[in-house]
Amino acid sequence: MQHRRDEILAKKAKLAELKRQRELRASQAARPGISPSEIIAPTPNRADNRREIETLIDSLVRESRPVSVSTGAHSPARFGSRPNSVLSAGELSENVSESAGPADGQVVASRPQILSTVPFKTVYECPPSPIKEVYSYSKGVQTTEEWTTPRKSRALSESEGEEPPVTASPSKRLSRRERDREEELRENIRKEIEEELRAAKELVTDGVLKPSAAANFPARTLNDDELRAVTQSDDFMNFIDRSTKVIEKALDQEYDILTDYTLQVHDVDDDDEQSGNTGGKGRRKVREIAQFYDERWSKKRMVSSIDFSPKFPELLLASYTKNPTAPHDPDGIVQVWNLHLHDRPEFVFHAQSDILTAKFSPFHPNLIIGGAYSGQVLLWDTRARSTPVQKTPLTGNGHTHPVYCVDIVGTQNANNIISSSTDGAVCGWSVDMLAQPQEAMTLAAPLPSKTEDLSPTCIAFPQADPTFFLVGSEEGTIYPCHRYDRAGAKAGVDTRVSYRGHAAPVMSVSFHPARGPVDLGDLVLSASLDWSVKLWKVRAPAATSAVSGGVAAGGAGLVGGGGGGLGGAGGGLLEPSVAPLLDFVREDVVYDAAWSPVKPGVFGLVDGAGWLELWDITVETEEPVSRISPSQRKDGRTMLSKSLNKLAWEPSEGKRLATGGIDGAVTVFEVGPDLGGKEGLKNEEWTSVKKLVNRLEAGGGVDGGV
Amino acid sequence: MSDTALGTGPDALDETLGRLSKKAGVRAAIALDRASGAILKTSGQVGSIRTTKTSGSSVPAVGPFANNEGNANSTNHDQGAEELASMVWNFVSTAGSLVQELDTEDEVKLLRLRTKKQEFVIVPDAKYLLIVVHDTSA
Repeated sequence: MQHRRDEILAKKAKLAELKRQRELRASQAARPGISPSEIIAPTPNRADNRREIETLIDSLVRESRPVSVSTGAHSPARFGSRPNSVLSAGELSENVSESAGPADGQVVASRPQILSTVPFKTVYECPPSPIKEVYSYSKGVQTTEEWTTPRKSRALSESEGEEPPVTASPSKRLSRRERDREEELRENIRKEIEEELRAAKELVTDGVLKPSAAANFPARTLNDDELRAVTQSDDFMNFIDRSTKVIEKALDQEYDILTDYTLQVHDVDDDDEQSGNTGGKGRRKVREIAQFYDERWSKKRMVSSIDFSPKFPELLLASYTKNPTAPHDPDGIVQVWNLHLHDRPEFVFHAQSDILTAKFSPFHPNLIIGGAYSGQVLLWDTRARSTPVQKTPLTGNGHTHPVYCVDIVGTQNANNIISSSTDGAVCGWSVDMLAQPQEAMTLAAPLPSKTEDLSPTCIAFPQADPTFFLVGSEEGTIYPCHRYDRAGAKAGVDTRVSYRGHAAPVMSVSFHPARGPVDLGDLVLSASLDWSVKLWKVRAPAATSAVSGGVAAGGAGLVGGGGGGLGGAGGGLLEPSVAPLLDFVREDVVYDAAWSPVKPGVFGLVDGAGWLELWDITVETEEPVSRISPSQRKDGRTMLSKSLNKLAWEPSEGKRLATGGIDGAVTVFEVGPDLGGKEGLKNEEWTSVKKLVNRLEAGGGVDGGV
Repeated sequence: MSDTALGTGPDALDETLGRLSKKAGVRAAIALDRASGAILKTSGQVGSIRTTKTSGSSVPAVGPFANNEGNANSTNHDQGAEELASMVWNFVSTAGSLVQELDTEDEVKLLRLRTKKQEFVIVPDAKYLLIVVHDTSA
């Protein structure tokens, strides 16, 4: 080791000698350029200094790189044998260990340029280059944003961060021309901004709009082509559509917030009696508050169903049949009306076939389901365009006959669309997938009937049970049905019991909305073309299985814990048929009847003569408590235009109800405090309904008891 | 619904604006380009809104306008519309800058300007503006 060190020291001495010579030469012959190696190498002021540095570096190198040093020790032998390679290595000065330098110095001491590289090579650990290498890469991302971004904002952002990015990244990708153009653009934008700023400043200093400021406006007038391009763009159409809706709502606001009551006595309070269309008296008054009709979309169509939005009480939908005089318009439409927007629908949805029924999804405020004459079940989304977002295919699996009834049952997280068509098919669908039904069954009339066919006109689910429902049929009988097999009963029509009483097609079945202190969920209203509405007490599915012998219906247990068995109804018959509790005979065909969602004894019905009647069975069971007919549209037809098809209550407050009929108009009414609204609800109302029902049961059927 | 408007193109547009201006008390409806302020569509009695004429018939004197007007040989109606448009546009821009200065991520959605005689309802959008003027007494 000592020997090796001596050797190295000797070499170093020689090196220093050589260097001194070289420096002398260098000082004598002034060189024009400075090679990079000199930049790195410490500039030698004095030879002694230089030597000190050399030694220092050497010691450092020896400490930090023992391996290289050891190779250096071995090297002399190799140098001896292969001097050429050493030489070339020295010249290339690429992958040479520091030992190569001294070796070169030894072998070809007379070559100054090689000597000059030696110290450079020895100083191995110093930073390789002061110029940092910049790695750059380019990456493209596709965006949907149109390239014509708002000009002003772009100008601002670019003028802010203008210079740095350009100098920092030389952007070799951009060709010179592009760069020029960019530069030009920037210049333009800068000018524009300056101009704008100047204009703004002028505006500020002048305070008022001056001709000079007006001269700045508009930036330029559009010529006809441009104007056409803009006004026909989708963007503009959408904007007009949205903004006019907003403005119309603003204009439709009836209350003037600037009314100053101190100024003059208003002669407006004309006691409500003369103003508008009202029916009933006092607290049972019914008042028409709005009528919805769209010249384009409601014309010559019939209202086939109405539903209030469960989420937004001001929204209601109406579905319509086709307009026979407009073959190019879609056959079926659904319009969503807003009580704050009187002259036009909030949304219009289309279908290729007449829509026979439509409903808001109770579990998703944006979704609307509908049933079509073609047998399709359709799903619209208020966030999407007017065409259905989903629909069932027109193939064998599913419905092939008109779908008059759809409903959504289940819970928030697990719900199904249930649809029924006039051929007796009942299907369950998943909201996410309408390609094929999740469940399907065909209802068949139970044996004693003449034919097996059963044509459902309406279905209704009780509040509590999504697996059990009632089907109103064309022949007039109401059948209980199960979606699934259960103890003692197969899926499909429950053959052990049926609700007979109507002599004509049943148009609606409505379960009592059980939301009170007493469970009235088994009370059902049915409306029929036989000029009557009937009140039924439906047996719970479990109770029907108790009479699986089918001998006597009278022995069946009753739901809701009420007292006593069913009286004489059907007691003597072998056929397990149940008679209605109460019969409301009317003067015309009744198309729809529905319980009030809040008042236990109140229901509404609409008939073929165009009357909306409101009943309260706790008050009166022979006559309606109030009645009203929608105001006739001025330009409407006079003949056969009055009949009302459908009725719907607003579910949360129960104060408003909507009717629609053959003339395509949807009319919204507001009822007095005795017929709707949540304030002033008394528990006695429930108990009195319960008492009435018990009395009717004890009285044994239709005509007793009242 | 947007589709209904798209379905029949310009007719539906005219119909929508026409119906709007037929509503009780509505005097005019104007659609503008938000960025440039150019008039895209007018309907109703636009010219009648401005009752006070600026002193000394400023309109013909206006620089670039004067040229355009001369070429187009426009009627009094158009002048009224352009004046109104420029005033409203400036008003909306000022309102917009107010909102921007309060919160840069905010934007103006609706402007209702009630005067003793009438009301301006202005709906500014990213690209367009719609102005409806209606009488409040009606």
